[in-house]
Amino acid sequence: MTSNRAAVVTCLALAGSASVAGAQGYQLRIDTRAQTAAYRGVRQDSVLANEVVTAPTGGLQTADGFFVRCPPGSTFCFFFRPGAYRQGGPLVSSVDLTMWGMGVRGLSLRVNGRAGVDLGESEVWPGTEPAVQLLEAYAEYAIRRVTTRGGRQLLANRLGVVGFDGGRAILRAGAGLEAEAYVGLGMARATALPVSSAVLNPLDDFQPRERQWVAGGAVGWSGRRGDVRIDYQREVERESRQFASERAAISGEVRPLERWSLAAGVEYDLANTWFGNADAALRYVSPRITVAVGARQYRPHFDLWTIWGAFSPVPYHAVNASVWLRPLERLELRGRWERYAFSPTETETPLVDVDNDGWRFGAGASFSPTDSWTIDVGYREEYGPGASSHGFEGSVSVVPSPRITLTAYGSTLDRPLEFRFEETGVDVFGVDAEWRPTARVRLALGGAHYAEDRRRPDASGFDWNQTRLNARVTLLFGSGADHAPLPRALRTRPRAGS
Amino acid sequence: MIAALRLLPVLLAIPFLFQQGHAQTRDRFDHWQHRDLFPKCTSCHAGVQDQAQTIWPQPAACADCHDGVITETVRWRPPSDPPATNLRFTHRAHAEAVGRTTRADSLLDCRSCHAEPGADRMQVRLAVAQNCLDCHGIRAPHLEAPDSSCATCHVPLAQAVRLTRADVSEFPVPQSHNAREFELEGHGRLAKGTSPVSAACATCHARDFCSECHVNAPEVAAIQALAPDPRSLAIESKLKAPRSHADPAFLRRHGSDVRQPATACATCHTQESCLACHAGKPTVALALPASGPGRGKGAVIHRERPASHGGDFADLHGPAADARPATCSGCHVRSQCLDCHRPNAADAAPGYHPAGFLSRHPAAAYTRETSCADCHNNGQFCADCHVSAGLSARGRLNAGYHDAKGSFILGHGQAARQNLESCVACHSERDCLSCHSARAGQRFNPHGPGFDPATLRRKNSQACTACHGALIPSSPGQ
Repeated sequence: MTSNRAAVVTCLALAGSASVAGAQGYQLRIDTRAQTAAYRGVRQDSVLANEVVTAPTGGLQTADGFFVRCPPGSTFCFFFRPGAYRQGGPLVSSVDLTMWGMGVRGLSLRVNGRAGVDLGESEVWPGTEPAVQLLEAYAEYAIRRVTTRGGRQLLANRLGVVGFDGGRAILRAGAGLEAEAYVGLGMARATALPVSSAVLNPLDDFQPRERQWVAGGAVGWSGRRGDVRIDYQREVERESRQFASERAAISGEVRPLERWSLAAGVEYDLANTWFGNADAALRYVSPRITVAVGARQYRPHFDLWTIWGAFSPVPYHAVNASVWLRPLERLELRGRWERYAFSPTETETPLVDVDNDGWRFGAGASFSPTDSWTIDVGYREEYGPGASSHGFEGSVSVVPSPRITLTAYGSTLDRPLEFRFEETGVDVFGVDAEWRPTARVRLALGGAHYAEDRRRPDASGFDWNQTRLNARVTLLFGSGADHAPLPRALRTRPRAGS
Repeated sequence: MIAALRLLPVLLAIPFLFQQGHAQTRDRFDHWQHRDLFPKCTSCHAGVQDQAQTIWPQPAACADCHDGVITETVRWRPPSDPPATNLRFTHRAHAEAVGRTTRADSLLDCRSCHAEPGADRMQVRLAVAQNCLDCHGIRAPHLEAPDSSCATCHVPLAQAVRLTRADVSEFPVPQSHNAREFELEGHGRLAKGTSPVSAACATCHARDFCSECHVNAPEVAAIQALAPDPRSLAIESKLKAPRSHADPAFLRRHGSDVRQPATACATCHTQESCLACHAGKPTVALALPASGPGRGKGAVIHRERPASHGGDFADLHGPAADARPATCSGCHVRSQCLDCHRPNAADAAPGYHPAGFLSRHPAAAYTRETSCADCHNNGQFCADCHVSAGLSARGRLNAGYHDAKGSFILGHGQAARQNLESCVACHSERDCLSCHSARAGQRFNPHGPGFDPATLRRKNSQACTACHGALIPSSPGQ
């Protein structure tokens, strides 16, 4: 209850401060979203080896019908029962505030925070602890040649997204040249919490006791026919003075001809002395057709305070292609394909066959018979080591008035898992409704029914159906000439088959 | 009296002629039917020649015949107000001007203006504009006459005070305005042809009209030379983008173009034009006027997807954004990026992933279709949920969870090196160290291809001590 109150108070305080601030301009967006969701996992159990019986399929099972695994020589056999039914009810409120015009030209303040609670009985929704999380809170001073920032901020580049509390300076030297440097106390990867936070360690694993230093810099050049940027970043543990990571990356794009571009980049891990993620893509873009072919390498990155890097994760290399067509004004077609193969792991054994390559494929189409209606269908399939899936997706959207959008969608999914015998079929049917009563208010409601059929021939093969509901309220406050809300950069709902 | 009555038809036509000064040819009084009654025009319209008399006949004169006995009565009253017109014309002044020019009393009779050439005396109508043009030496049809000739007959709109907004809206469009370049460069050249502004423009337009498109109107002398007049807004202004704007590359190129003296841009664009797309105020925008009182809205900018983005850019924008983040920030604000690229992305509504993604996430995550770790912390997001779902390996390894592969434990090394991020979503380091440690368990060496012990030790020797303790070998084989 205390965390709930803190979350609510924080949101109200941020909203209140924005409305009374003496800034010449401000923009405040408050998103509040709620959802109900349920899942049911598994629970490990065991039974005495002399109590198992022969199943109709010829294997062994418990007396109540669960397949068991009996290690040689063990007095127990093991199996997984269906887990408890867990209900999550996340309520997340995000606040995004920017203020400027406070008497110093070029000075602005920015705050992005989130308050979240799980109102469900099981409190199982990830990421709702702690209840209040501050993603960004910094002051920025920007003039023609220089931008400086101080405070909590997120940094996104080819090396990933990292947050830190510190300072950052960007110098624009003219002629497209830019240099950047930053230093601060870092956050854990992909979270607004320090690496020492207890909630980041649910497995009770190794964990640093103090936050790490993050420092780095970049130089870049941007011109009419191309861009290039070099990034360097190191993270150093404060306690031991040892590296948590040290990486560099180069990214570039050339546009030699109108409509053509070649973008490429690679990151290099200076501690592990190997290349991390890398990619290159050649694109042709026109109003009617976009074609891209590319190649990439993916290798996971682990901080050096873990031991995972010593297990020598190997990269996979992929070639891919995508095409987007608009043969008619109201018809869009799209397709994507990728094939990948892992580098040799030097662990292969004839005793167990594990795939070392896979592929992904997706195709879809969008058709708008009128300005108000959009029909979207797609199919996707992927097969690879560990898991695979395939299924259809589709949606119908109608805009009966400029302020209302209604969407009905559905999908099918077959999900055979290679490493676990649990073939599953999931059918989803849902509806979404969005209403924008004014330019500053957006309301949305949605619901979906999940029909999941776990196709096992034993007692674990239960059907697991549920209905999920979600609601969202977005409020925009602002002043100044540019108060109009900008459209989203990306579609809220990815298109089918993509 | 009879003479006055004969002039009646002509004079009745005058208010309709003057009403708008254009395209008025209909005569409500049938002069031709009365041709035998009135030998002289001035019989009815004495005021044309004699300023002391009225230009209209007295209604009583009509009643001499239209008495209800001989013929039916007519209900006609002379107009009480001056005509609503923008013509630079009175009969007396015109006659005087003709006299000064020709040194004669007048070479003109009523038919000179009010009848087609060669027509009978009483085949009159409203003044024939072409007759005016012919006399004034303008060899062109009315609406095709050179713009410089408009002021010959017409006063500026601001002086035509009796014209209503509706009258203005019905002004015909001169032929010159249909020229291909007129809406862009052409009208500007014409307006500045004579200082301070062409009288031709002032005939139909006023400052308000120009200010609708020209957001820099307060700074343009030619526009300021026009009088303000809100009636001019009755003519719809059509702002047309220059041809350069239709170039597919324009959107990408306009940034460098606008760094040139932005005078041309300032014609139609205020700073708000930039802000429609650009987050923050670009420096170059300061060269443009800010919208406000006295300025029109100018070009209304609607944000649209740049041609370079293509239809599937959302899926492919990463490499380009890495190479030139400053370009992205020209149009996109941080909160837009954070809508998807937000740390700890445990949101409560559909967002980046499609509905039902939770059901199919194993396939996407096992081989990392994309980098899940950019948005999801493995400990807080993946492991937290998997622990709740009973998927973590707490308590026992080799319990048979991966039951689709017989003897999976024997082949787990390949799976682990290929999909280590998936493994650590359920397994802790201690799970692996129970076998892969130099100090305990099976002492299986976990190091594989690409392992560089010397560099790793130099960067962080603590990771080595987790398995090797204080005795870290100088090479992995030791």
